[in-house]
Amino acid sequence: MPSVFVTGANRGLGLEFVRQYSADGWQVLAACRAPDEAGALKEIAAASGGKTTLHAIDVADRAGVLDLAASIETPIDILINNAGQMEPWDEGFGAIDYDKWDRILRTNLFGPAWVSHAFAPHVAKSDRRLIAMMTSGLGSLADNRDGARNPAGKLYMYRSSKAGLNMLVSKLAADLKDRGIAVIAMGPGHVQTDMGGPTAQLKPAESIGAVRDVLAARTLEDTGRYFFYTGDEYPW
Amino acid sequence: MPTILITGANRGIGLESARQFAADGWSVHGCCRKPDAASALTAIDGVSVHALDVTDFASVDRLAQQITDPIDVLLNNAGQSPRPSLEFGRMDYDLWAKLFTVNTQAPFKMIEAFHDHLRRSDRRVVANVSSLMGSIADTSRGIVPYRSTKAALNMVTKALSGDLARDKIVIFSVHPGWVRTDMGGPIATVSPEDSAAGIKKVIENAGADANGQFFNWTGETLPW
Repeated sequence: MPSVFVTGANRGLGLEFVRQYSADGWQVLAACRAPDEAGALKEIAAASGGKTTLHAIDVADRAGVLDLAASIETPIDILINNAGQMEPWDEGFGAIDYDKWDRILRTNLFGPAWVSHAFAPHVAKSDRRLIAMMTSGLGSLADNRDGARNPAGKLYMYRSSKAGLNMLVSKLAADLKDRGIAVIAMGPGHVQTDMGGPTAQLKPAESIGAVRDVLAARTLEDTGRYFFYTGDEYPW
Repeated sequence: MPTILITGANRGIGLESARQFAADGWSVHGCCRKPDAASALTAIDGVSVHALDVTDFASVDRLAQQITDPIDVLLNNAGQSPRPSLEFGRMDYDLWAKLFTVNTQAPFKMIEAFHDHLRRSDRRVVANVSSLMGSIADTSRGIVPYRSTKAALNMVTKALSGDLARDKIVIFSVHPGWVRTDMGGPIATVSPEDSAAGIKKVIENAGADANGQFFNWTGETLPW
């Protein structure tokens, strides 16, 4: 069975990835900051017959990420950089907390860069060799619907971190192509999670079910591209 | 007589912009870290020189208190490109964080601090000096850290264009070309004079339809 490594696995989309891949019998490496406190994850792991394992990771802690990578020998077919952070909607223009912006960049951009660096050897020795960065439609610069959907702007820190992440995808794809690794940006849609809020369009199971189909269809030819959960390509 | 505030005005495109706007009769606030060492800037007639480190946000706020004139145009020009190159796997993440402060957060902070000055002016233009290196559509050259800070700056431009439109402030990103400056190096293809003249024209022509756009120094729009 293939293996998948998921960051931010304790809730939201990360937890849903773990739930679905585990139910399909995959080897799932579920990583989050405090696995001991992740009740839902522990239940999935307990029912998996040892195939789903929990790992402590803080993607902003570079030494810790390297230690974790050194402790894992199994090949990783799909690395899903899912851990992410968003500021509240009410922290708009004129009230920017620049220290928080730093923290959001460290989690949403530097973290995926470092985790990809640390685990690229595991991905390179797998069969599927795919790295997926969970980005957002809000990270798209070219999305013309943006003005209508988000007329007041806001979410500057989150959106700028995701635009930076999309840039990372584009450059990393070129860097890792020689090792047979595909790197893609993946937009899950607007989902009912702690981040997306209760009025979002999609339930986690719907979004992640569709995202998994998109991931399953990817080859090295797709590297450096930006996909939406619908399977359509998204504009940068 | 319109007023422009320029960051990073001591050399390169910033210095040349200060020269050209001043020669055209504009009132110019030229900001740089060390005015004592900026003899070319202080020598220009019509330029008020201010000491400003754009990454020191408290000093940005202080300058915004000191300058009382309306600001017609804010030219966020100060920026950094890392040297030596930072390749994937050998990246210096602390340097990357500092680049974000200079290239992405500082322009945002300048807009926050001078929002009221812009609102009180006639033209109400913010020009963020970005780079084609910030374009995700074409990533054949360059490296992740610098490129990601400019992609993020472009997102600041795009996202702020919503909030600032309520005050009829026009904000855009502009690519200065590959310019023969300390950053661009001696074999670059565009002179600082031509680049600054092109950016000046883009600024002067900026109407409401320029809001949230990404321009080349020659005036056409660029892909994100």
